[in-house]
Amino acid sequence: MLSGAGLLAGGILVGGIGAPALGSGSRLGDAEILNFALEMEELQAALYAQALQHAGLTGELAQFARIVGAHERAHVAFLRDTLGSRAKPAPAFDFGDAVTNSDRFAVTARTLEDLGVAALDGQAASLTKLSLASVAAIVSVEARHAAWIRDLLGELPAPSASNPAQPAAQVRAAIRRTGFVKGTV
Amino acid sequence: MSDHLAPLDSDGAPAEAMGPLAPSTRRGLLRMLAAAGLIAPAAALATAGVAEAAGDPQGDVAILNYALTLEYLQASFYTEVERINAVTGEAAKLARVVGDHERAHVRALRRVLGGRAVARPQFDFHGATESESAFVRTAVAFEDLGVAAYKGQAPRITSPSYLSFALSIHAVEARHAAWIRRIAGVVPAQSAFDQPATAAHVVAVVDSTHFIVGPTQADGMPGFTG
Repeated sequence: MLSGAGLLAGGILVGGIGAPALGSGSRLGDAEILNFALEMEELQAALYAQALQHAGLTGELAQFARIVGAHERAHVAFLRDTLGSRAKPAPAFDFGDAVTNSDRFAVTARTLEDLGVAALDGQAASLTKLSLASVAAIVSVEARHAAWIRDLLGELPAPSASNPAQPAAQVRAAIRRTGFVKGTV
Repeated sequence: MSDHLAPLDSDGAPAEAMGPLAPSTRRGLLRMLAAAGLIAPAAALATAGVAEAAGDPQGDVAILNYALTLEYLQASFYTEVERINAVTGEAAKLARVVGDHERAHVRALRRVLGGRAVARPQFDFHGATESESAFVRTAVAFEDLGVAAYKGQAPRITSPSYLSFALSIHAVEARHAAWIRRIAGVVPAQSAFDQPATAAHVVAVVDSTHFIVGPTQADGMPGFTG
């Protein structure tokens, strides 16, 4: 399994070199990308806050939720500060049993953290250099979160040599499928 | 694994984990990076061990060669850990999986760089591959340093496809860092924002380890099993 993953990852890496940065072909501007990142961070921050209140988290999973929740709130504050009046208001969320059941929470956190890394990496190459530096400071922290929760779930923290990026449309579709956002995404 | 992981001063981690500073020639890595155009040789030699000689990369090839140098270091480290076989359990699993990734990064970077790729230097890990505790400490330092190194260069890369490529590795290095930190019993994500590192800082840290003991080999990758 391990050598197979390595070979596959090598193929993706090499295959990715010549590909355009954005699969969709549409380049978003900095403010649009940072608002997109803000939506992801709001979603994550709300998940951790509500799970800490209602999911009866214990042990290292509770520690994970506290630490990571604080990071996501810091990301939200940073992005709101950066965007200023261009920042979009936070939508309403309904997480269902993802914030009342400890196991559902863990799986949901893993999904959203992996998605967050892929979403940010999918947009980073379109950012101006200044915004890129800010997003790069966030994306590796999201990758650390993803690895941590995957390890807690008994999954490989780093499943491939190349972290796949996802175009915005794909990320938005994935968020819609969760049904967590009550409003427009 | 304890329920609660201890905090770790991430800024202090590389220096602590890689041992005390000692007089050093710095020649191998400095020559390589100077040859790659990533640091000015005179400035780097004049400020041995000091991080203020900021990296001044001259183009994407230099940055990719700098990344390749760090990947050579990591790949050789994990390959030797596996060969010596002194590490067990989850740490051994990490050495296998992460070693696979670092070797894939080396291959991918060499393929991208083609004839412009720097050759692999000679390494001596001075026992860091020979005990589990030394391995874990060193791996934490390497992976956190790798994240900071890629982050430091990302805004300097001009080609969008090279940038996407570098960022996909950057995120994987962060996953490695989180994983090995958890094995070490420290918080995988210490802070809400990961800081970048300049090439000069990274050079100073790597140099303090004395892991690079010789110039690049003529035929590229001797003894490299990846």
